[in-house]
Amino acid sequence: MATIEVKNLSKVYGSGETKVTALDSVNVTIEQGQFVAVMGPSGCGKSTLLHLIGGLDRPTDGSVFIEGSDISKMSDKTLTELRRRKMGFIFQFFNLIPVLDAIENTALPLILDGVKPELARTKASEWLSRNKLDGRGKHRPDELSGGQQQRVAISRAMVSDPVIILADEPTGNLDSRSGDEIASTLRKIVTDWKRTVLMVTHDPRIAAYADRIIFLKDGKVVDDTLLNGSNGENAKRLKEKVESL
Amino acid sequence: MRIQILLAWRYLWGRKQRMVLTTLAVVFGVTLLFGLNAMIPAMMESFRHNMVTTAGKVDISISSESNNPFEESVLKDLSEIEDISFYTGILTKNVVLPESLGGTVNKLTGSSAVTVTGVDVATAQNVRNYSLIEGRFLEPNDTNATVIPQLLADKMELKVGDIFTIPSSEGVSDLKVVGILSLSASAGLDEIFVPLPDAQTILNLPQKINTIDILIKSGADRDVVVSSVLSKLGPNFKSGAIQTGEELASALTMGQSMMWLFGVMALAMAGFIIFNTFRTVVAERRRDLGMLRAIGASKQTIMGLIMVESLLQGIIGTGLGLICGYLFSYLLVSAVGNIFAGMLRVTIGAPVITTVNLIGSILLGVGFTVGSGYFPARSAMKVTPLEAMRPTLGSIEYRQNNRRAIWGLGLLTLSVVGLLLGNVSIAGLSGVVFLVGIILIAPVMVKPVADIFGKLISSIYSREGKLAQGNLTRQPSRAAITASSMMIGLAICIAMMAMITSIEHGFTTYLDKSLGTDYLLMPPSLVLGSGNLGVNQGFIEKIKSIDGVEEATSLRLATSQVDGTTLQLIGIDPLVYPKIAGLEFSEGDSVEAYKAMEQGSAIIVNGIFAVTNNVKTGDVLSLKSPQGERKYTVVGIGFDYLNAKISTGYVSQSDLAKDFNSESDLLLLVNRKPDATAEEVTPALQTVIKEFPTFSLIDSNEFKTEQMGMFKMAMSVFYIMVIMLAVPGLIAMANTMSINVIERTREIGMLRAVGATQTQVKRMVFAESVLLSALGTTMGILVGLFLSYLLVKAIGVIGFRTDFFFPTSGIIASIVVGLVFGIIAAMVPARQAANTVIVEALQYE
Repeated sequence: MATIEVKNLSKVYGSGETKVTALDSVNVTIEQGQFVAVMGPSGCGKSTLLHLIGGLDRPTDGSVFIEGSDISKMSDKTLTELRRRKMGFIFQFFNLIPVLDAIENTALPLILDGVKPELARTKASEWLSRNKLDGRGKHRPDELSGGQQQRVAISRAMVSDPVIILADEPTGNLDSRSGDEIASTLRKIVTDWKRTVLMVTHDPRIAAYADRIIFLKDGKVVDDTLLNGSNGENAKRLKEKVESL
Repeated sequence: MRIQILLAWRYLWGRKQRMVLTTLAVVFGVTLLFGLNAMIPAMMESFRHNMVTTAGKVDISISSESNNPFEESVLKDLSEIEDISFYTGILTKNVVLPESLGGTVNKLTGSSAVTVTGVDVATAQNVRNYSLIEGRFLEPNDTNATVIPQLLADKMELKVGDIFTIPSSEGVSDLKVVGILSLSASAGLDEIFVPLPDAQTILNLPQKINTIDILIKSGADRDVVVSSVLSKLGPNFKSGAIQTGEELASALTMGQSMMWLFGVMALAMAGFIIFNTFRTVVAERRRDLGMLRAIGASKQTIMGLIMVESLLQGIIGTGLGLICGYLFSYLLVSAVGNIFAGMLRVTIGAPVITTVNLIGSILLGVGFTVGSGYFPARSAMKVTPLEAMRPTLGSIEYRQNNRRAIWGLGLLTLSVVGLLLGNVSIAGLSGVVFLVGIILIAPVMVKPVADIFGKLISSIYSREGKLAQGNLTRQPSRAAITASSMMIGLAICIAMMAMITSIEHGFTTYLDKSLGTDYLLMPPSLVLGSGNLGVNQGFIEKIKSIDGVEEATSLRLATSQVDGTTLQLIGIDPLVYPKIAGLEFSEGDSVEAYKAMEQGSAIIVNGIFAVTNNVKTGDVLSLKSPQGERKYTVVGIGFDYLNAKISTGYVSQSDLAKDFNSESDLLLLVNRKPDATAEEVTPALQTVIKEFPTFSLIDSNEFKTEQMGMFKMAMSVFYIMVIMLAVPGLIAMANTMSINVIERTREIGMLRAVGATQTQVKRMVFAESVLLSALGTTMGILVGLFLSYLLVKAIGVIGFRTDFFFPTSGIIASIVVGLVFGIIAAMVPARQAANTVIVEALQYE
């Protein structure tokens, strides 16, 4: 059973003259432990695909199966529960709660799930330390650098032990060095922790950390490539591909 | 729930300035609500205490069935009864004074006996009020000491320190006079007070008392207390008591409803502020909320987050409000206490916290806050997880508010029709309808008002004015809500000022008419029913016989009941009274009414009674009298100055004598002959009055001046309240302005980056604030005018008819207040905006 299975997925915004087809009958299957990057030009539908897979939005047509369950027909309550337990999100703008410290931000999904606060804090601290944020637990987001904030966000995404990590332009708001750090952390999540990562990015250098690249254009999958070279080679290949597309 | 509390608290703490401003609004509302309502029971308690004690009467008097003395030890049984405020044991007996001890000194009263009353020195003053003119009251260590009334002191020529000898079971008792009481309030014999053990010795009744005086708690059911006392004491005891002060207590109850209204209005304003704040909070945190939804927070969790935040503010605000309210009440009691002391000779104690007030304030304080957070919380619940993915932009309202405005316009039209119908309850309802109408129409008023006043501001600061105008009009709903809270404050301000001007005018007119005579011969208490002693016909005859007196007429008093309502009856002479004084009529013809009174069984009732009992001219009332029920026809609705506030009926003195056995004159109105001077008449009057010491001679003009002074003092309390009600408007403005600045940090940074100076940014914020206050003031003036007209009409309906005065002073005051508030509210936010660090602001999310 595939971890993620997308069948004939379509999403249409607006109607009449303002109608925009963001996704047009997309079919994708992602197995467990794969690191997949979605690439494509602006407005190609890559973020829409991520939102639909993450259950953040409802498709106009088609289905999304997570571990065999069709989430497009789930109630809001079940979907919320699924996001809480099986998915972790990483956003471009980090989206940390400014009034909570790093431990509290990391522990949020567990606390929302009713886990005892002490246990939630312990788990959160463990993940922060895995992400090289020892000693930063008591810091609020405005006291951390962009890269550190994103690592808190990754810790938050991992803390509830999810099956899938969904990352929307996770390095879009970072300098190249921090971006590389974040990309290698995501790589580690796949290699060491056997999680499935789906990442949207427009940066070939970051996408090069992935196992597989799905290219979208005008709402359709135009290319699906497996990467097996070194990072540098992959990045170069991807850059060429982006230009050719 | 833990996460909601944690987040709510952190968010509140993270925006301290805003939290302080919004919480302050709640604090303010609860302060008013709780404080004002803590004052009224204090006043009522004092009133009751004063009236029953000066009347020489208590709530409950207990004596033995056989009228014999009983053991004083029974007193301790009463300590367990909850609704008893105070109790004291008394031993009282008449003692004949033999000639050798100075008996039959005064030929006029022929008194040759005194009532010796032994009192428990420790508790006596709790139950009765002993007002001394000289010396002191009895003290615990006193033996063979006495306090005597002034009349007796004068008769016996006794001073403080003298010895007053009375017969005793041990021969005679030499009592040292330690104090002299003012006028004796009780009829008949002079009453002297001695410590209880002394009385027990004098009367040879050791450890005995024969009366227990009880004062019940305000609001306690007297019958319930009587039955619990009697069941405690056993079958050999009986109760013989009276109830006084009912009429004034009902006036105070009306006052209490006013206080609740004031408090609730202040809280409603706080509600507006909180609603506005939370709406902004939700808009500002859309991305946080979206993220929480994305990582698995349910809709209910999100709603709970905002609700917990408002609950926390409600609890903090209400808690602080209760403390401030008590202090406020304390201050108010001290301020009002002086007025009361002067006006009604009542001293007011500390504020009283009643359970109803405490629970009511808590429920309303927390309730309004949580209620105001509800709609923003619901809209927070609808934030989708997708919001977390989008960069936020300052939202601009494009939605047309036209539909609401049409509703508003409809309501405004309805309310004007309601006002014109002339029915007081419909008019009252139309006041509320008008308010709702204005609030609905407010968002569409934002643009035209901003355009008009914006032009004015642009003529001073052309660039900043234009920007401010644009900023204000892009969020018309928020501007309208802020302006609404200011509107309520200013509208009340204008309405109150109009009402005060109108009442003042009416007050002067009535004072002139009711007390238009040259002299007033007044009883000790201004409230006729509170234990004043009347005098017989001989007094007025003596007054009339004075050379230089043209005419004199009296007011007499009795009490009756109509369908369970207590009605104070004033007996007037329908022939003489209209000539030298007169009632102010709001219904019926005065000439016809007095003529009907002459023929008998006719009554004129005052407005309060007419309104509360729905009585019209021509109705027949069934009055309870000692002779049974008597039918009286209502021939008019009118009142005099002294009895305007108490349910009163006016009947002829012959009817009062026939049906109610009342023939004593209580108050006299006297006119001089046109050719007589005050120098001739006043001394002659004073001579007569010496024989009737319960009366005091008052020059009407002096009295009127004094009364006007007191009226103005009382009104000044109203002014203070009006000002206090305007304050939440200021808080609302400051709050919105600071929200506006926080929300537009990025924009302000951009303005600074492209070359705006700090002064320009400051001016922009000031201009926006002034525009906002212009909107509030415009709305406030409209509502204020409507309300003031409504209030003056409403007072007219309850019998206090007065002309409507256009509240020019109120409007000018409102404009000034509006402008000043606009500037004050912008001070802190403007400085914040001007000090924005450009780089940080540009990165601000």
